Amino acid sequence: MESPKTQDEQLQLLFDGELAPEEEAAVRRGIEGSEEDLAQLRQWSRLRAAMKSASAERAGQIDSDALFARIEAEIGAPADAAPLQREPLQKAAAVQPTPLRAVPGRRERRIWAAVATGFAAAAAVLLAVVSWPSEPTVDSASAVRGSEVVEVDFGGNTGTIFEVEGGAGESLAVVWIDEEEVAIP
Amino acid sequence: MSRLRNWLLIAVVVSATGAASDAAAQGSSLAPSDRTAKSSVPAEVLVVLAKEEEGEIDPQLKKLTALRRPPFNSFRSMKILSRPKVTLTPGKDALVSLPNGRRLKLTLLRVMPDGRYKVRAAINRPDKADYLPLLQVVASAGDPFFVAGQAYQGGTLVVGVIVDPQKNAK
Repeated sequence: MESPKTQDEQLQLLFDGELAPEEEAAVRRGIEGSEEDLAQLRQWSRLRAAMKSASAERAGQIDSDALFARIEAEIGAPADAAPLQREPLQKAAAVQPTPLRAVPGRRERRIWAAVATGFAAAAAVLLAVVSWPSEPTVDSASAVRGSEVVEVDFGGNTGTIFEVEGGAGESLAVVWIDEEEVAIP
Repeated sequence: MSRLRNWLLIAVVVSATGAASDAAAQGSSLAPSDRTAKSSVPAEVLVVLAKEEEGEIDPQLKKLTALRRPPFNSFRSMKILSRPKVTLTPGKDALVSLPNGRRLKLTLLRVMPDGRYKVRAAINRPDKADYLPLLQVVASAGDPFFVAGQAYQGGTLVVGVIVDPQKNAK
């Protein structure tokens, strides 16, 4: 007889589609008639569908607080605590004391690593947002005063570029080109 | 449950990425950027006849303290000949006739990231390139740039161009 922990893990693997065909068939036969297991699978399916839908929408429409809360609830929940939206398993826990979240250590570490990677990625993106070079505001634009020559072509004449101080101390560009007086056409 | 967790993580990252793109989009809509100017801006052209002879300095020029500093300080009289207002439209030349028969051509090229205007100017006789074929200047709103040196009626023409004269006009 399988231990409850193994049975729960197999249920998870079945849900994830990670069982070999013969194992999957065996597990499916095992849960036939088990309303608890079937209810659990339906619960996970609804949760997965909701997450697919949520991640497909724009980020602004995602309730990120709820997502983080859900992640934290699943990761940080003690073994005897029932995670959110898993009321049917509370009954099961009364009969089978092994909690749903009890998983082998290696798997736990993988989950923690994945969660840590996710948080690191989110933190990196948020850092990029914070350090994003902002465009100049109206105040900074008005702080740049004066005028300056970028390019000049004097043609056949000779000229000089001056910088003259304006009333507010700003530098104003002066292009001076000497020439003989031209006749009005 | 591993796939479910993957979806959770993807959702977190997508959420943060979306926030980043939203913030970037919002930032670009708040301020002028280094791109081709899309809207028109008013400008004023000041055509002044300056002479070294003693005379009157037009009272309207007293606020332009730059005209009392070198290289303009050798002039003892200044008279405003005209003060036309034009609208600078990107990609479209604005023409101002000067009293010596030449024309000042102004074109708004772009708004710089710091909010200044990049303007191209040329002063020539029609269909000629006899004086100032090309001048490109960046100027902040209300701050003039000057082109001087054209001889006229025993004096010198000083042409000042002020972009967006309603803002910070001095």
